[in-house]
Amino acid sequence: MSKDAEMVSRPARETSSEHGKAVANVIFNAVLAALFVGLFVQAGDLPSSMWEPLGAGSFPRLILGALVIFNLAIVVQSMAALRVTDRSASAGARQWFLQRRLAFATLAAFAVYALLMPWIGFALASLLFLLAVQFILGARRGRRLLIAALVAVIFGLGLYMLFSHVFLISLPAGRLW
Amino acid sequence: MLMTDALLSSVEQLFSLATLVSMMIGVMAGVVAAAIPGFTITMAIVLTLPVTFTMSPLQGVATMLAVYVGGGSGGLISAALLGIPGTPSAVATTFDAYPMARKGEPGRALALGIWASFFGALVSAVVLIVAAPPLAMIAVKLGPWEYFSLILFAVTVVASLVGKSVLKGLMMSLLGLFIATVGQDPMMGVPRFTFGIDVLAAGFPFLVVLIGIFAVSQLASEVENPSELQQGKALVSGSMQFRPFAVMREVLSRPVNLLRSSLLGVVIGAVPGAGGSIANLIAYDQAKRASKTPERFGTGIADGVVASESGNSATAGGGLIPMIALGIPGSAVDAVLMAALMVQGVSVGPRLIMDNADLVYGMFLAMFLAAGMVLVFCLISMRWFLRITEIPKSIIVPVVLVCCAVGALALNNRVTDLYLLIGVGLVGYLLAKLDYPLAPLVLGVILGPIAETNLRRALMADEDWTLFFTRPISAGLLVLAVLSVAFTVRRLLQQRAAARA
Repeated sequence: MSKDAEMVSRPARETSSEHGKAVANVIFNAVLAALFVGLFVQAGDLPSSMWEPLGAGSFPRLILGALVIFNLAIVVQSMAALRVTDRSASAGARQWFLQRRLAFATLAAFAVYALLMPWIGFALASLLFLLAVQFILGARRGRRLLIAALVAVIFGLGLYMLFSHVFLISLPAGRLW
Repeated sequence: MLMTDALLSSVEQLFSLATLVSMMIGVMAGVVAAAIPGFTITMAIVLTLPVTFTMSPLQGVATMLAVYVGGGSGGLISAALLGIPGTPSAVATTFDAYPMARKGEPGRALALGIWASFFGALVSAVVLIVAAPPLAMIAVKLGPWEYFSLILFAVTVVASLVGKSVLKGLMMSLLGLFIATVGQDPMMGVPRFTFGIDVLAAGFPFLVVLIGIFAVSQLASEVENPSELQQGKALVSGSMQFRPFAVMREVLSRPVNLLRSSLLGVVIGAVPGAGGSIANLIAYDQAKRASKTPERFGTGIADGVVASESGNSATAGGGLIPMIALGIPGSAVDAVLMAALMVQGVSVGPRLIMDNADLVYGMFLAMFLAAGMVLVFCLISMRWFLRITEIPKSIIVPVVLVCCAVGALALNNRVTDLYLLIGVGLVGYLLAKLDYPLAPLVLGVILGPIAETNLRRALMADEDWTLFFTRPISAGLLVLAVLSVAFTVRRLLQQRAAARA
């Protein structure tokens, strides 16, 4: 997938993270396995049906059971990987997040955008979001900031007009007015 | 009505100015809509449906076919230039078209896809006309047992297709199948795993998962590198060479790949429920397996683009086969087309060809006409689509994110879907960073309800579960599923051994 392309295009930036990945895999899959065991038990309470041999709970339990097996298999595999990778060459989790701060900032802005939208409406929220993310991604001053403002106004309002008036998709109008 | 009369009548209706104009607009709308991530072909067609009420039956259905065929090519544009499948049918297109565009050949990637789509649509229209009845007979024989096994096969193929670990791939498929069970149970309507939380009450709509996984998390990884952004670097750089006829020869110089992928697309399209998204992946997989240089797939080679794009375009004709012959829609899109006909007072079923021959021939002809229109429109406007690559990331990322929000809202107009979208996007981003393949998860979410419904229906019809293994087609599909995993495990073990040596 595109992930491979990315690794080709910027190999230098990727710090050696095999060890960190193995640790993350163990934790992630162990947590998932625990969660799925819980859900498996809970799915037992789902009603069965008098019309069919399988009730509402059987298919999810089948899937959850298989999931737990795969999670545990990945935990075992990652534990094995832990032993062969070099701990010292690995970058810390803090640095990992710092390197990707722009990605997390963009996602955070998107979350604020979604939270604001029901209150101030799609058009204004989009305008502010477009401006904010362009600012985060580097349009800080001068001509680029001017372009960013233009893009925000044109697309914020333009997309709203296009989708709500041409494609007739109803978008939140805003509760405050 | 005599066949020639019907044919002449359909030609007369189809080549009227009003029909040609509405088809052309439909083609443009389909291409542009499918190019926008989150704006699926299905959604474009649903939005076209109300517009066709005032038209004649043939004009209406021809316009919708134009949107459909246009959408088949439109998904390619964002797949090649952004690495985001514009529609679920373009997932495998990103595997090679995007690396090719990133290597500096975006024009070639697009032209390859456009021509492959055109020939795929052409082949499917021919097959639709020639072989409709026998193919539909095969498709309709599939019981719930075969259908469940088919889905298992599709899931294992995808899980072994992408990524470096079969274990992770299968885990993601299962996770997708599980995510699909959140919300209402498909047969009894019992709420499952919602814990009384409003956001989860309606489950995870597959479109939200798709946009979150393929758009939001993909966009997040696009903005990781601060130094790249400061230069205002576009997503794709390189020469914008525009040589449509050289590329046409390049596509036609791969007749085996083109024909195999197109025919696979037709057959998969004819199976109810299995549409372009599966055909796209399976055609790609088969081309990779048949290739002498399978390791070059995924690095941006022409064969991958040709296989994936001819495969998904060919499902358009394939999906019409069971719909026209039996009144069973081959996909969600065909269901909308069928609804359009029924609104017009045309009864869809086995008698359709006999009672409305001119309409059916008109649909056949409209397929050819739409394929031609898409080709001309795409080749002319390709230079303009390439302009996308010159826009800096700092502009394109927020604008596409707003489109993602629209895509999520367009489904049900629920703001809670936006929260799900962000959650899925964040999780998808972290999963991708941990080397988990995301395509199997999305496929699991889409196929989950179909798998469960068929499993339960099969056991309702007969409580004997061994039927899955004793019915020949079902058993065959299960064997294929096991083989696809076994072969991949063997290939990966060999690679690992080779790497160690």
